[in-house]
Amino acid sequence: MELRGKKVIVTGGVRGLGRAMVDKLIANEAAVTVFDLNLAGLDELKRQQGSVNCVACDVSDHEQVSAAASHYHEKFGAADVLINNAGILYSEPLIKITPEGVVRHDAAMWNRVLSADLSSVFYMTACIVEKMITTRTRGVIVNISSVSAGGNAGQSAYSAAKAGVNALTAVWAKELSPMGIRVVAVAPGFTDTDSTKEAVSETALRETIKRVPLRRLGQPEEIAEGVLSVIGNDFFNGKVLELDGGLII
Amino acid sequence: MQQVDGAVENLLSDVLQIPASKITEDLAMKDVDAWDSLKHMELIVSLEQSFGIELSFDEIVAMTSVGEIKRVLSEKGTGG
Repeated sequence: MELRGKKVIVTGGVRGLGRAMVDKLIANEAAVTVFDLNLAGLDELKRQQGSVNCVACDVSDHEQVSAAASHYHEKFGAADVLINNAGILYSEPLIKITPEGVVRHDAAMWNRVLSADLSSVFYMTACIVEKMITTRTRGVIVNISSVSAGGNAGQSAYSAAKAGVNALTAVWAKELSPMGIRVVAVAPGFTDTDSTKEAVSETALRETIKRVPLRRLGQPEEIAEGVLSVIGNDFFNGKVLELDGGLII
Repeated sequence: MQQVDGAVENLLSDVLQIPASKITEDLAMKDVDAWDSLKHMELIVSLEQSFGIELSFDEIVAMTSVGEIKRVLSEKGTGG
């Protein structure tokens, strides 16, 4: 798919990987809309990238997604590309042994991560694809997964959510591709973003970098480049592109 | 109930995996267990490819019986 003039929605496009995607999409002359709950971040993005359409929306809330998608469709019609990037990176072992005793994984955080990282993908895709189907718009859904989908110690909720994202990618590719809608995923490894540094301790990150054959973190621009590649390649479908510097081989 | 022959019947038989002899004008989506929404989309794509047409969403929704499929195809100038 040629990106020039295409209507692209990026969730969580205010910072980190999402922001790198937004910048590359604009450089390729796409008409970009960002769904994000960070109001100050949306204002800042609008100041820096004046052409971006900014939508305040918590994509883990079905009602908000439904309303925001309806408003988007009234204004722009069907989108050509949806990038499900929003989510939270969260690390906690199933069982923690602390000086105070044994502590189980926080159940509220389990629900929050599943909601932010998995349910959000379901809500957004259903609302956006419905309009694509009813207008016979061909396009691409890109789900941002993670190498943690394979099971990363200390990340029960995050790994489960991303494995779910991979499963949805396969299911939707089978369901939607006959209608001309490709569904793909990009799974970054450890990437040099604020959210990585917030969720992973400095020691753990140093140890992880030692296991990466390239001996470094990925850069957000490299992940964004991968996203543009899978949008551009019309035969890439139902698969996950892993961009992890060779961490999982 | 009159049996019908032709490209539409063959296509339906192929997609829904039912004998062409059982495909009649009044056979409808509700009568065939295998004719669910996913199969319907597969059928639509097959019709589009076979007849070189593009169907609107309203037409897709309307094409829930053999008779309706033929009516829509006829309106689009295909033989059905």
